[in-house]
Amino acid sequence: MKKISVDHLARVEGNGGISATIDGKIVSDVKFSIYEGPRLIEKLTIGRTPEEDVSMSPRICAICSVSHKNAVLRAMENALDVKVSPKSYLLRELMHMGEFIESHSLHTFYLALPDFLGFPNAIAMASKYEFEVKIALEMKHFGNHIMKTINGRYIHGENAVIGGFGKYPAREELLQIKTRAIHFMPFVFKTVNLFCGIDYPDCPDAPTLYACCEPGDNKFGFWGDEILLSTGKTFHRDDYKKLTNEFVVSHSFAKHSLYQDKPYSVGALARIVNLGERLEGEAGKMYKKYYSSKWKSNPFFHNAARSLEILYSFERIPELVDEILKLKEDKSIVDYSAENGKGTGLVEAPRGLLIHHHEITDKLVSQVDIITPTAQNAEDIERYCHVAAQKLLDEGKEDQIRDRMDIIVRAFDPCISCSAHMAEVRNAPKNNWKMQLEEVTQKGDPAFIGVGNPTLSDDGAGIKLARELKNAGIQDVLLESEIEQDEDLWINDSDRPLIFLDAVDFNEDPGKVTLLPLHLILNNTSLSHRLLPTVSGLINYSKMKNTYVLGIQPDSLQKGNQLSAPVEKALNEIREQLTNIREQ
Amino acid sequence: MNKDKLKIGIYELTGCAGCALLITDCEMELIDIFNAADIQSFLMVKSDNIEGELDIALVEGSVTTENEIEELKDIRERAKVVVAFGLCASVGGIQARFGNKEWKENYQKIYGDMEMTHTKPVQSKPIDAYIDVDLYLPGCPVGKEQFLHFFTRVLKGAPPEKYPRPVCVTCKYNENDCLLNKGIPCLGPLTADGCGSICPNHNLPCTGCWGPAEGANPTSEYFLLKEKGFDIEAIKKRMSNYSGTKLAEFFEQFKKESK
Amino acid sequence: MKIVKLKKTNLFLFLEIISKEADFWAPVKKSPDKHIFEVIEDFSKINLDYTRTILPPKKIMLPSDFNMFQASNTKYTPDFSHVSKKIIFGIHPCDIHALVIMDKFYSHEYNDPYYQKARDNTLILGHSCWPDEYCMCKSTHTHVVKEGYDLFFTDLEDTYVVWIGSSRGDDLIRLKPELFDEDLTDKDIQNFSQRREERDKAFTNDINFEAMPDLMELKYQNLLWDKLGEACLACGSCTNVCPTCNCYNVEDKPILGKNCSNISRCWDSCTLENYSGVAGGENFREKRSDRLKLFYTHKLQSYISKYGKPACVGCGRCVVTCPVDINVYTVSKSLDNEEVDTFWNRLSKEVTK
Repeated sequence: MKKISVDHLARVEGNGGISATIDGKIVSDVKFSIYEGPRLIEKLTIGRTPEEDVSMSPRICAICSVSHKNAVLRAMENALDVKVSPKSYLLRELMHMGEFIESHSLHTFYLALPDFLGFPNAIAMASKYEFEVKIALEMKHFGNHIMKTINGRYIHGENAVIGGFGKYPAREELLQIKTRAIHFMPFVFKTVNLFCGIDYPDCPDAPTLYACCEPGDNKFGFWGDEILLSTGKTFHRDDYKKLTNEFVVSHSFAKHSLYQDKPYSVGALARIVNLGERLEGEAGKMYKKYYSSKWKSNPFFHNAARSLEILYSFERIPELVDEILKLKEDKSIVDYSAENGKGTGLVEAPRGLLIHHHEITDKLVSQVDIITPTAQNAEDIERYCHVAAQKLLDEGKEDQIRDRMDIIVRAFDPCISCSAHMAEVRNAPKNNWKMQLEEVTQKGDPAFIGVGNPTLSDDGAGIKLARELKNAGIQDVLLESEIEQDEDLWINDSDRPLIFLDAVDFNEDPGKVTLLPLHLILNNTSLSHRLLPTVSGLINYSKMKNTYVLGIQPDSLQKGNQLSAPVEKALNEIREQLTNIREQ
Repeated sequence: MNKDKLKIGIYELTGCAGCALLITDCEMELIDIFNAADIQSFLMVKSDNIEGELDIALVEGSVTTENEIEELKDIRERAKVVVAFGLCASVGGIQARFGNKEWKENYQKIYGDMEMTHTKPVQSKPIDAYIDVDLYLPGCPVGKEQFLHFFTRVLKGAPPEKYPRPVCVTCKYNENDCLLNKGIPCLGPLTADGCGSICPNHNLPCTGCWGPAEGANPTSEYFLLKEKGFDIEAIKKRMSNYSGTKLAEFFEQFKKESK
Repeated sequence: MKIVKLKKTNLFLFLEIISKEADFWAPVKKSPDKHIFEVIEDFSKINLDYTRTILPPKKIMLPSDFNMFQASNTKYTPDFSHVSKKIIFGIHPCDIHALVIMDKFYSHEYNDPYYQKARDNTLILGHSCWPDEYCMCKSTHTHVVKEGYDLFFTDLEDTYVVWIGSSRGDDLIRLKPELFDEDLTDKDIQNFSQRREERDKAFTNDINFEAMPDLMELKYQNLLWDKLGEACLACGSCTNVCPTCNCYNVEDKPILGKNCSNISRCWDSCTLENYSGVAGGENFREKRSDRLKLFYTHKLQSYISKYGKPACVGCGRCVVTCPVDINVYTVSKSLDNEEVDTFWNRLSKEVTK
């Protein structure tokens, strides 16, 4: 078995790595690891005042600090029932534009473009593309300038507070922002043409689900009170957990998210896929000119999508400034009196949907949940790397895997410091295994394979269960030792689900049962080490998508052939359930 | 690369990456920075990094995993001068304010007992908990002017003399009304200068995000806020938000006294 | 000395004429209780109904941070970009006295060209004021001015009595002499005297500055200083707002990409810990109490011994600024054995409890 890895991803914000394990003909175990350590941000602000929380929680991430600021403010103001003045509202949108311009121009020109033009970094690229590098720097500077003017500082500004702003920027400063935005337009068009025109490498057809904020009023925008999926389904902000079931993986301090057990993507591409039709003006024209269905299944088009958003932001700035200057002066902060409440704030950070949920009890913060875009993208990053690596391996281009994974990860513009925050543990994807099993059986009649080591007490659970099922007369049940002989199982009927029965340590009470898609487990448990040698020769990637593990949490793995009482009890329950299903 | 140029490495441990990002925010100076020094390693902006002997290492972020301890020790061995770059490296950052026990409890609440396969987590600490640090540049994140001044001085082989002073100094340069006198819990007198007093400039109290100022008088500020009617716990919390491990002794002393 | 009269309604007209070729500085109201000196573009922003600004006019002569010169191995280029033709309007007597003290200080033994050039290019147009409870200028005898201004405007309801204090001031009047009336009526003189009398009575503070040099000497080891040191936040605000504090620090600021440095100068403060630090890591005044002694020795003792008056002009800025009540008023009163209700007194009781 050999491991290909990019130990330290360069040109991303933060400290992370991606690795893939190759065993014979299969790429397994793709891990997007976050080396950033745990910061426990969501616990840090418990017991603090809402104001302190608003100051501290954006410190999760520097590059998205304004998005975090707007998200925490929206959450707090929902929680405390504060309605800011129209002027504050628009100024916040304006500073959000600043962050998009800053972040997107940094990513597209400095972090991503060298990949497609073949340079190790932007400074080296400057020798040949001096104009682009220089003007892009000015564009980035302009984005920063907007954030500083409105929020007080480039990074972690403090002027935006619950109820509005400490102090409004001066009229002259806003007019200057408007003028400069207009001056940039020729270069912005150039940017769109450049990034939409790049001949991006093909990515294996791996469509995904896209999620972003629903800005409302059929408009394009960077925040809203609902989440919109590419299927057309929407969730109210308070129901965000229906989308993002965060869970812990062992190779990263960033949690992962799945929607109905499937990875999904957020970010520029998600917004353009879901909302691109709504773009107006020049951005709308450019969208019509460049957008095609192939954007949907290739994450490299995130870069093209970013360029459209840069254009959108530059078009929006003069409108915003005009609207702001039409408004009368007001007291910049609205007072509030609420002492209790809970609220959720949704915004689009440059790299995708960002969710802040804050609860206040007796004037102090009592609960915080922050779901960052990179945590949501982590599963899709691994999946895209997986399929791309598998394809290159199939084509005999093993030597390209490393670089390709590097570029794919970067395409998501992962913000690693952001994702390594952490939330409360909700045990591994919390699925009711019985319901899950029914769903699986609806796809086809499953075959079962018992695996394990009967000489290590509970580790023998899978083998014992398989034997009992056989004895109960259930068809298509095999033992680990029998699977190689049964070739039919692997060749025929690839739609037929396959369920491994095994003792799986997933950090639960002994005897607890779970049913997980195999690809998920392969990423992170000791099970993978056991299954891989057995399975990798026989199972192909498409089959793996339809393969599951029915895991039983062991109590003891000592030497011995006795199962512990809770595991025995679980076996009985499973047997009963399976017999019922088969009888139906 | 030019042999006369100082070899510099910029490293990120655990933090928000804001201090490294700040360097890229020196848009107009960036090309000059890269021309003036031989930037050997800077993961955020370049792929062709070389990990060898260094004249200066700027280390951002706090130490939160065993791998980071190893990485840090390796950097120390390779670099003549190590700079704690930003609040997290200097005092441990906001993530360093938990005591050991509190940290373990909260860690468990989030990750349960799952063994991490890639590294073992440790309680967040500033880098001087593990290695000798030559220079400190606090800030959350480090200020642009502050960084450029520091960087150009270091390039000349003459790092700025240590001259700690609180936010109040700049705050007065900026002619702000003292918020403490208005009964607003401003941490300016306790907080290292360098931010340009942006919060008071916007009529907002200093949050302390540059970390504790050397030579400050926390006892006086503590009693002053107490006298102004603030709750003791609230004062302690506010003072500890950004002080990492560095105000711990001060609070210990109060704990003893209150017993 | 020449005295003329100007109708209030003609003030802006006059200011407009004289400010054509100079930066025009005047007090501006920034919030209900905050005034600062600012360069004025629009005269309607001038607000003369103020007692004291946050920073004194010293900032107009020498900004808190400015570049002195650029130097390389072979070249030295002085930088006087902070110098320009300036007019300061609306400055009160205490601040004029402070400038007179600065004038002496910066020309004493060595001439400081950075101050001198800025000062030579600046015209001082004083304005009368009314004391509040923190003003101590009557005790320091700085509530009236006899020198240090080019023009001085005394507010008498609908007219100003304008004192011409220098030939440069006279030149200003000559730019538009028809605005001024040289004949003061008896009524005017009576109004003026009455105002002066009433103002004298409005002072509520009385500090015995004459006794201070001796008291400082006698009480140099007094516990008072420990109490003050315990409370001092070492924030440097007192020295920054003091119109006669003038310490500064000099720093090299190399220019990126060039082989030269800017040498800049910024205000320093003796209450900061490293102020008395020297090479080798020694510090002569590590204790806050020692640093406060230095400050008050300067204000209350050494200057009086040398020039016969304190280096305090009674502006009251330290009184309104220090969050822990360490200021010329409370320190002088305590030296003079008067009990004062201050935070530092209460803190001392709290800590020794």
